[in-house]
Formats: sequence, C-alpha cells, structure tokens
Amino acid sequence: MKDLRAFRMLMASVAAVGVGAGASAAGEFDGVTIQAKLIGGQQYEGLYARIADWEAETGGKVEISSKKSHFEIDREIKSDMAAGTTSWCVGSNHSSFAPQYEGLYVDLNAFVPAETVAEFVPGNINASTVGGELLMLPRAQFDVSVLYYLKSNYEDADKSAAFKEEYGYDLAVPETWDQVKDQAIFFADPPNFYGTQYAGKDEAIVGRFYEMVVAEGGNYIDETNKPIFNSEAGQRALQWFVDLYEAKAVPAGTTSYVWDDLGQGFASGTIALNLDWPGWAGFFNDPESSKAAGNVGVAVQPMGSAARTGWSGHHGFSVTDDCENKDAAVSLVMFLTSEESQLAESAGGSLPTRTAVWATNVEAAQNGDDAFRAEALAAFAEGAKHAFAVPPIPEWGESTNIVFPELQAAIVGDKTVEEALNDAAEGVDELMREAGYY
Amino acid sequence: MRRRLPEWFVLLLPAFIVIAAVVLIPLIFSLYSSFTPYKLTRPSTLWRWVGTYNYQKILTDANFWAAFGRTVLFLTIVLNVELLLGLGIALMVNRVTWGQRTLRTILMFPMMFSPILVGFQFKFIFNDNVGLVNNVLQSLGITDMALPWLVDGRLAMFSIVFAEVWMSTSVFAILILAGLFAMPRDPLEAAEVDGCTPWQTFRHITLPFLMPFIYIAMTIRSLDVARAYDIVQIMTGGGPARRTELLWTLMSRTGYVDARMGLANAMGYVSIILSILFTIYFFRKLSAARAEIGLEG
Repeated sequence: MKDLRAFRMLMASVAAVGVGAGASAAGEFDGVTIQAKLIGGQQYEGLYARIADWEAETGGKVEISSKKSHFEIDREIKSDMAAGTTSWCVGSNHSSFAPQYEGLYVDLNAFVPAETVAEFVPGNINASTVGGELLMLPRAQFDVSVLYYLKSNYEDADKSAAFKEEYGYDLAVPETWDQVKDQAIFFADPPNFYGTQYAGKDEAIVGRFYEMVVAEGGNYIDETNKPIFNSEAGQRALQWFVDLYEAKAVPAGTTSYVWDDLGQGFASGTIALNLDWPGWAGFFNDPESSKAAGNVGVAVQPMGSAARTGWSGHHGFSVTDDCENKDAAVSLVMFLTSEESQLAESAGGSLPTRTAVWATNVEAAQNGDDAFRAEALAAFAEGAKHAFAVPPIPEWGESTNIVFPELQAAIVGDKTVEEALNDAAEGVDELMREAGYY
Repeated sequence: MRRRLPEWFVLLLPAFIVIAAVVLIPLIFSLYSSFTPYKLTRPSTLWRWVGTYNYQKILTDANFWAAFGRTVLFLTIVLNVELLLGLGIALMVNRVTWGQRTLRTILMFPMMFSPILVGFQFKFIFNDNVGLVNNVLQSLGITDMALPWLVDGRLAMFSIVFAEVWMSTSVFAILILAGLFAMPRDPLEAAEVDGCTPWQTFRHITLPFLMPFIYIAMTIRSLDVARAYDIVQIMTGGGPARRTELLWTLMSRTGYVDARMGLANAMGYVSIILSILFTIYFFRKLSAARAEIGLEG
C-alpha cells in the first residue's frame, strides 16, 4: 500500500514537472475528473466561472462536490478526515485554518515551480507555509483591515473646536488607537450614534485582540507556544475594549457582533470609526446598500504604543494527499491562482496576493476616475505592509474558543482585565501542554 | 444434525441487527472514545487510551458545571412556565364551544416552525439596535436606552426562555387538552350537586385527573429542553462571557469546532445523568398521580 502511494507520488511529481515546465498541454487531462470542495458566496463565484476555461484548455472536468462558508467547509473537512474520505482533490483553504489539517494536503513546493511561487507576495507564501510545507497557493482574497470613517465628522468646525477644548489636540483622522478611543467617546451619542464598534465573539474578537497586543509591544504566544498575552501589553490592549464599552461608545450588543453585523452597522451610517476588511469597501460607498455612501473615508489602520499591526489572512487552494490525479489538481490550483485569475478576481474589489497584480491594480486605480477606489486601494496597500497571519499552529482556533469568553467577561464587567487574561492564559497553557509543546 | 436457531430469535434478528448498528455500536464507540484524547483532525488519537482523564477534567471544570447548573435552571423555569401557560390555555380552549378545532390547529402553529428559524426570529426581535422590542419600548417612551437583551446575563436568559416557551407551550396545552377531553363528567356533576366552588372542583377533581397527562408532557419536554441547542446557538451562541452557555452549546463547540470528540463524548455521558434523573423523577410522580386517581401505579 505504502509502495503504491510512493509510486503514485513519484508519477505525480513527474507529471507536475511537465505542468510546471510550461502551460498545460491541450487535452492533457482528457477524461480526468477533479472533485473540489470550495468556499461559496457571492464574492467568490466570479473566479469559479473561469473553471470552464481550464476545462476547455485541458480536457479535464471539475466537479464541485461542496460549496459552503469557510466554517462549514472546515467542519466538513474535519468529518472527512475522521471518516477517512479524503480522496477529493482540491479544497479551499485559509491561512487561519491551514495548520489544523495535519497530513491532509500535499506540500506544493514539490509540484509548483519555485519561480511561480516567487511571483506571490512573500508574506502570503510564509503564511501558507506550515512546518516548511507549502500547503496552499494564495488566491486573490487577501484580508487585512484598515480604518473606514465618516468624513463629515472631520468637516464640522464646531465639533473640531469642542474636541480640541476637551482633549487638547486637533481633531483629525486618528493615527493611534488612543486617538480612536478619544474620538469614539467624543462622537458617541447612544442609542442613535456610536463612536466605533468591534467584533465581540468567536475568533473575530481574539484576532482583533491579537493585533492590538502586538501593536502594544506584546505577543499572543512565545516561541515555545506558551501564552503570553496576559502581559502588561495584553492588559493595555484589552483595557481599550473595556473602556469603549463602559463609555457606551460602542453598541451594547457589540459582544454578539461578528463581521456581517459590523458591516451593516457602519453602512447604517450610525458608526463614526470602523476597522474593517477590504470586501466591504464597495458596499460602504454604494448608495443602494449604504447610508454612509459618499461620506466614507479610508485610512491606514491606526497604531498602538509600539507598532502599526494588521491581523491578516488569505484564502487559497490546496491539493489533498489522497487525490488520484495530483498533476491535474495542481494544474487547476495554479490556474485559479494565476496572474490572469487574480487580475479578474481583484477587479471585483478583493485584494491580490501576487506582487505584479498589486502593482497593476494600484496603478490602474491612480489613473482611473474613481477617487474612492484609489483612496481605498492606497490604504490597503499601506495596511498590507504591516500585516501578519495568526500563529501557524493547529491549536490557534481552539485557543480562541478559550480566550473569547474571557475577553467578553472583562468587557461586560464580570471580571477585571487582569483576572480575565490570567484565566484565559491558564486555559491556553493547559491546551498547549496537552498538545505536547512543553 | 445441525442445531437450528429458535424461530423467535431468527424473526427478531433483523431488528436486533438494525438496533445494534444504529444505536448500540455508536453508543459503545462513543463511550470508548470518551476514554481517549480523540481529535477529529487526528484520527490516530482514537487508539490512545487515557483512562478517566477526560472525566477528571470535566469534574474539575468550573465552566462545565456552570453550564450544567444553568441547564438545570433553564429546564426548571421553562417547564414550569410552559406548564402554567399550557394549563391555562387548555382550560380556556376547553370552554370554547364554537370554532374549537380551528383554535386547536392555530395553537399548534409555533410547533411547526424549525427551532433554528424561531432562533433567528427572536434574535432579530431582541436585537439591541434594530430589534422590534427596543424600537417599541423607545417609541412608546418607556425607555430611551438600547436595552441589551441578548447581552445582559439575566435579560439574555429571559430572551432564550421566552423563545423556548413561545415555541413549545402548545405541547403542554395539547396534551392537557387531551386529558380534559378524556375526563369523565360524573365526578364534576357530583361536585356541582354537592356545592363545590369552581376552585374546589379544579383543585380536587380536575387537577388530580390531569396530573398523569402533565407528567407525561413534563417527561417529554424535559428531554427536549435538556437538549436545547438550536435556539440558544442562534440567539446568543452561549455568550457573552458564557452567560447563556448550556450543556449542548458547550458540547457542540468542544466536539465540532475544537474537534475534541473524546472530551465532548465524556461531557455527553456526564450530562446524560441529568436526563436520567429528570426522567426517573417524573415517572415516579406519574405513578403516584395514577395511583391517586385509582389507576394502578
């Protein structure tokens, strides 16, 4: 059995060299059917329409056996791993999920030519690499958050004067998280208008906390994977969330909000400052969907007391180890992440993960007549420089489930910041011990 | 000569096989896995025996026992409120002489909705910013605040209880109504002749007669409510800060999101105790109630 697998691997590698050496030969995969499990949703469909081109070019066929949200796909993949039904070939992947699927996906370094890998943004390739193995090729769905704000708040002379009198500095688009806090409290007028908002549960709030801890000079875990987020930097970071909640500068329900609630909230025009993802840019400035349209500014994310940081992630495609036609699967993955595919997909507003596509898009936006798009893309290009992914360990997701209820406990006042973080660190410490890190 | 299997056994064999395949084997398998560190993403962990480690972890886990206690509290409140409302509705419907059938059908409407949809419906109704309840309260001038229905510990529990009661009170109403229909008229007429007040009639004749029906409804609903998951998961996800965490939201997160199936199964076995205790209690009460109205225990 093992020999057979080794033989198949060898054959696949030989075939992959063939693919890598040039474009797929016409009709190369005649009669081959590739089963794929892909992330579904309006913003992802455009790329899948291109699959027909790959089919026409290579003669292969793609059968999409599952199309779900990332969280649902994640659960399905875990069930597949438990049941041993992992012979489907191509799967959507995400930098936050990738480290969990131990042994499921092949190391693409063995299949994809090094020069192709080098065409991607190095940070994205790093975040796709776990334990030295390149587990996915990044698609044009890179996520880092920047600051969306309502411009009108900065064009009102009375407001500016009142703010200066109260806080002692000029009212301008915030550069630091402390300024965001001051301004959010200043702008808030609950229950009609709020200064800002944040994701309040699940991985979402832990990710926000994580980027804030790093911005304050701390970190989530150390090099041995021991939790260190209960440091002073961590406490300063969590205090920021607590202060805003206590001052009623964020909606009372913010602890139950995740991305959709936040996006709809800013689009309702009742939130002054909103750290959010690139996918919302078009939505926020579209009069059909947003009351804030025409009044939206986009700036690089503010910095903490130590650095400017950006918790980021990106989507990608992986090939399973049990796939029978790895050469065809790799060819499909390379097609979906090619320069043409990324240009097409990022035309819809998502961010690319190839260096050349970034350059083309920024240049096109600067020369175009859509000032908002140019402003947003410039902010994201700047924001991406400070981006980093979550720690590449399988326990990341599980640790967030331990940490988020404790963060909430501090925010709603059940525990002090220090108690909450110590309790969370204790739980994560136990998790890491059980995982055998130390 | 070959010995033949007894005929009754051969006839029952298909049923035995089916029950073993769909109930017994999964049960034994899940019990076994609760003694392993089984993670869905690492199938090899299924074969590592860790003894009672998972159970020890659960017994000393304050969060688990808090969820356990909260589930008991939730069960107690929901069952009692549903009983009172169900009893009231059944008594009233019983008095209706015209259009009773239509009324009984309407009564069953909430039961026809999927619990997930009921969860979404109440999540929207209780939303602090755009929800119906806060908008009504603010428009009527009762409050100018955005009440955090799904965030505040007590309010969130109330909202979930409200949704659960809205959906399932009719189970009680229908079962109690069945009891009222089956009730003999003679004792009621005798009580009337003897000059009993309506309260005396209800307390000493109607209620004892209904008690077996009430305990059957209680047993069915206690098993249902102890499994409460969909509504809670949709409305609050057990949060914030575990304020509405019940056993099943905790177990499903441990098993499917954290992929720690071994630990989740151990939690399942510990929490089965809860269902068993409630069931035994209600069956005892049921026997006592049947004995009281002259049926054998």
